[in-house]
Amino acid sequence: MNPMPVSVSYSELLRLTWPEIAVTLAGILILALDLTVLRRASLAARLRSGVAIACAGCIAALFLLGYSDAFASLPGSMLVITPLTHVVQMALLALAIFTLLLSFSIRFTSHIGEYFALILFATVAMMFLVATQNLLLIFVALEFLSLSLYILTGFDKHSRQSAEAALKYFLFGGMSAGFLLFGMSLLYGLSGSIELPKIAAALSGPAPGPGYDPLLWVAIVMVAIGFGFKIAAAPFHLWAPDAYQGAPTVSAGFLASSSKVASFFIFAQVVAVALAPVAGSGAARAYTPGWVPTLILIAALSMVVGNLAALAQTSLRRLLAYSAIGHAGYMLLGIIAHSPRGLSALLYYVITYALAVVGAFGVLGALESEGIDRIADLAGLSKRAPGLALCLLIFLLSLAGIPPLSGFFAKFYIFSAALESEPHLGLLWLILLAVAMSAVSLYYYLRVLKAAYVAPAPLDQPKLRIAPATRLTLWILAALVVLVGCAPSLLLNSLGIR
Amino acid sequence: MNPIASPVATSWILRYLWLIPALPIFAAGVSALLPKAKRRLSATLAIGSMSGSLVLSLAALVHAIAEPARQIVNFPWMQFGAQWVSLGWLLDPLAAVMLVMVTFVGLLIFIYSLGYMAHDDNFTRFFCFLSLFAGAMLGVVIANSLLLLFMCWEVVGLTSYLLIGFWFQRPAAAAAAVKAFIVTRVGDLGLLLGMVWLYAQTGTLLFYNNGAGCLESSAVAAMGAHFTAAGMAVSTAIGLLIFCGAVGKSGQVPLHVWLPDAMEGPTPVSALIHAATMVAAGVYLMARVYPLLDHTTLAVIAWVGAITAVFAACIAVAQNDIKRILAYSTVSQLGYMMLGLGVGGVAVGIFHLITHAFFKSLLFLGAGSVIHGCTEEQDIRNMGGLRRFMPITFVTYAAAMLALCGFPLFAGFWSKDAILEHAHAWGLSLGPYYLGAIGALLTAFYMTRQMYYVFFGPQRVAEAAPIESPRPPEQCIILHPHESPSVMTIPLIILAVFAVFLGFVGTPAWPWFQSFLSATPLAFSMHAFMEPGLIALMLYSSLLVFAGLLLGWWFYGRKAITRATDPDALGRRIPAVFGALAHRLYVDEFYKYTVIALARFASAFSAFLDRFIFGGVVNLVSWIVTGLGWFDSGVDRFVVNGGFDLGCREVNFGGRLIASLQNGRVQTYLRVIAGALVIFAALLLWGRRG
Repeated sequence: MNPMPVSVSYSELLRLTWPEIAVTLAGILILALDLTVLRRASLAARLRSGVAIACAGCIAALFLLGYSDAFASLPGSMLVITPLTHVVQMALLALAIFTLLLSFSIRFTSHIGEYFALILFATVAMMFLVATQNLLLIFVALEFLSLSLYILTGFDKHSRQSAEAALKYFLFGGMSAGFLLFGMSLLYGLSGSIELPKIAAALSGPAPGPGYDPLLWVAIVMVAIGFGFKIAAAPFHLWAPDAYQGAPTVSAGFLASSSKVASFFIFAQVVAVALAPVAGSGAARAYTPGWVPTLILIAALSMVVGNLAALAQTSLRRLLAYSAIGHAGYMLLGIIAHSPRGLSALLYYVITYALAVVGAFGVLGALESEGIDRIADLAGLSKRAPGLALCLLIFLLSLAGIPPLSGFFAKFYIFSAALESEPHLGLLWLILLAVAMSAVSLYYYLRVLKAAYVAPAPLDQPKLRIAPATRLTLWILAALVVLVGCAPSLLLNSLGIR
Repeated sequence: MNPIASPVATSWILRYLWLIPALPIFAAGVSALLPKAKRRLSATLAIGSMSGSLVLSLAALVHAIAEPARQIVNFPWMQFGAQWVSLGWLLDPLAAVMLVMVTFVGLLIFIYSLGYMAHDDNFTRFFCFLSLFAGAMLGVVIANSLLLLFMCWEVVGLTSYLLIGFWFQRPAAAAAAVKAFIVTRVGDLGLLLGMVWLYAQTGTLLFYNNGAGCLESSAVAAMGAHFTAAGMAVSTAIGLLIFCGAVGKSGQVPLHVWLPDAMEGPTPVSALIHAATMVAAGVYLMARVYPLLDHTTLAVIAWVGAITAVFAACIAVAQNDIKRILAYSTVSQLGYMMLGLGVGGVAVGIFHLITHAFFKSLLFLGAGSVIHGCTEEQDIRNMGGLRRFMPITFVTYAAAMLALCGFPLFAGFWSKDAILEHAHAWGLSLGPYYLGAIGALLTAFYMTRQMYYVFFGPQRVAEAAPIESPRPPEQCIILHPHESPSVMTIPLIILAVFAVFLGFVGTPAWPWFQSFLSATPLAFSMHAFMEPGLIALMLYSSLLVFAGLLLGWWFYGRKAITRATDPDALGRRIPAVFGALAHRLYVDEFYKYTVIALARFASAFSAFLDRFIFGGVVNLVSWIVTGLGWFDSGVDRFVVNGGFDLGCREVNFGGRLIASLQNGRVQTYLRVIAGALVIFAALLLWGRRG
């Protein structure tokens, strides 16, 4: 069974990928300018022009997205554009813009052009990733994204930690990419197609015979491993704390936010579209094998491991890394719900989470430039930098899920979507575990805030100096977190929940 | 043509009628945000917005003259269950006339305040309140819904409170403000009840709504056909309840007690709010709901008005505070308006309202000018001889005084005469007519007395201690009286012109005003004077006025009053009566020993209940809860906490255990993946088999 040879109209392809092309062109332009015209310019000027061009590219892409077709597709499911992919792409671009604005004050490298170009290329990869339903393109985009992220992680060449983190990330990523590719090839072998809808059609035939039975399960596990690595879910999370700690702050924020949004979306697409017939069930007393029980196991492990390990951390970055693992567990609930509501809740969760995490890493970057990394060093932050402390408060409380911040509604929607999934209340135990783990997470978030707000300040600490661009970006992010929390319908309407 | 216009506004003035109240309210809002030092801007805003409203009001009047049919604009406001409550505004001759009066008098008083309040620290606040008042008052005038009217009515009451207590540092002013607020509240309770009842009966509070409004014939007929338990028509009961609101606001007996005390406010406030406009709002309200009123209600209104007219005039005879005399005179004149409304209809009452607004605000502004010139002196016994020092004030004050007395051909003559004429022709009783006639005599008498005390005779230097002044002492050193600045005298002159000539728009020979208001054909005929009895009635009332003036001269003008400490000429003759009048017929004392004493007792009783009965119960509950709390905290500390601490230690330990997995060796990490693959696949396969 060979896939039909597909003929692609290139003009159509060009028309549909204008936003991606705009971002790519911006990346190439930065590279070219930085290597030619700006070669002798000061670092600050190069940074400014880099941020300006990159932001201009992203904004242009945002506008192009606004004017492009709401529904479109290319043969072979190479490109499948829906209003939902538009929203996700817009969120990715917005996150890229925030990341760029926060990198105004980076000091760890002089390779400005490459740095910004890599951020843009990673963004392009993610934009393609969310807009395709073709296994081959998914893999290519995912690898493109991963390669960009490996380099971004290791960009601080003066830091051994950074190099070590990048190497670990790369080894782990390479390994899991191998698993993913293996899983995908098994799926292709079983279904004869690399298009997600066609795989589903092939699998939904008469009950899968015993012949390919073990292979299907292995394929599912392998796909889960591949994506589990990308979303840093336990037990494939082990790279995350090291990478988050070693990478430059801006890269870490980017890694933790944008790449999560894209990976979760495509993971949900793959399992919910291609593997819909073999979902299985993880409900108590109704266990049937499939990807749902696998993911339930991963989710439960992630929640427990991430949140408990975060308790023991003394470094703010590692704390955020472990909490990210815990959040991956909650977000998997949206996929497990296996319903349109679940997908919408997942997207709401991951987008608001990304906003808060970019903000939290932004605060971290501002703090680290002043030599603060350990939680205990935060003492007296509310006096030294009240604005920064307030932003940190908003981001962390949103991550902890305190109303009226957006994190609360994200948890609420995703838990209720999981509860509503079939069979009714079958996942109650998982939700109870999630709620209990949320309570645990509150403890470590509050520990940070306690240090920032309650702990007595050491004497003679000067006020922190924060770059205006960083400050502005953080305020915008904090405002967004509050706004989307107070008026969830702003985002929900475009995600399809009513 | 159809008397009810379509709800869609056809003319621009009707569409933008809402701007008339909105402009001053906007000015008030901006003023409220201004810092204290922005005096000029605040005054400019207030006067500018008022001028704008005046121009619009004049346009509305011109429109109403050209198109006397009532026009309305209604809009839905909010939903309550299945019903929409609508609000709206209307333009008819009555509203147009009131609009012009309020904006015109208001503008002049605003300008006058520039001079009068020039030295006050809180100038900005003053203009903010004045603008808010003007806006709310204009809202009352154009409201086409009893609800909207009530809302504006309450804002008017609020600004009245704020402005009476403007110099709240003075205890008397603060007390007067509270008194005004509470006393008018008694009346407003009636109005509120009436409004609720009206809504229950008709299902709408819109006055006019193309046949579905509560003042339109179908609703009124339905209400007239229903009877309450006491055998009273529902419309009567509602009318009387609404009249309660008017009694409170317009200072009718027995709720008149707040109005004389309200004179503690700055004089422009007394002129604008407590003489020309707000107190007339009660009369306006009754005129607005006139279609609702039946014979019984009208009779009550007429009697209350007539009694008020005489009662207040009597008290005014024995007062010594220049503003207080005018205040009682205002109460008395409001009584005339109610009487006119009760016996003669809307046009008669409103005609007196309009003329009174001009000459009474003139009197107050004149009194303000006198007070200003005499360095905050308000006691007429300490004045005297001011004719020489303040000629403009004297002349304008005299014109207003003659208008108030009803001196022939002055404005007050025509309007008061119309009231007396209709009272004489009233079928039910001649009592109100005689009361009104006595009131006219008394009015002439007390005004003459005041004129002699203030403007004639030798200057009596302040021997008594001057009343406490709100101004800093360095501004009080001017000892000789002086004429006020032109920013104050020019409004006086303008108002004086109206006080003299305004009456000619409604003489019996050419009743333009009455025909405009009641939409009857107008004809000029001197024969109207020849109607049987009319000339005689006019002659009688003129004679009464002359008698009053003469009596005043006999007592106070014949021999000049030389010393401030001289006893009152009338007081020497009939000390008992004069003493009672000087004590305002003991109404305040009566309230003190009845209503207030009762309220005191009730509050003491409630306090006792609260403290010992309810408080005991609450304390008991709190003791029980505290005891439970102690028990609970014991359980918490020794049982639950122990367990929780243990749990926390375990959770923490688990965290450390997991973190220790993270040993940094990438080989271990990769082994974990492989292990996970095996375990997951095994689980799925096992499930498949099982």
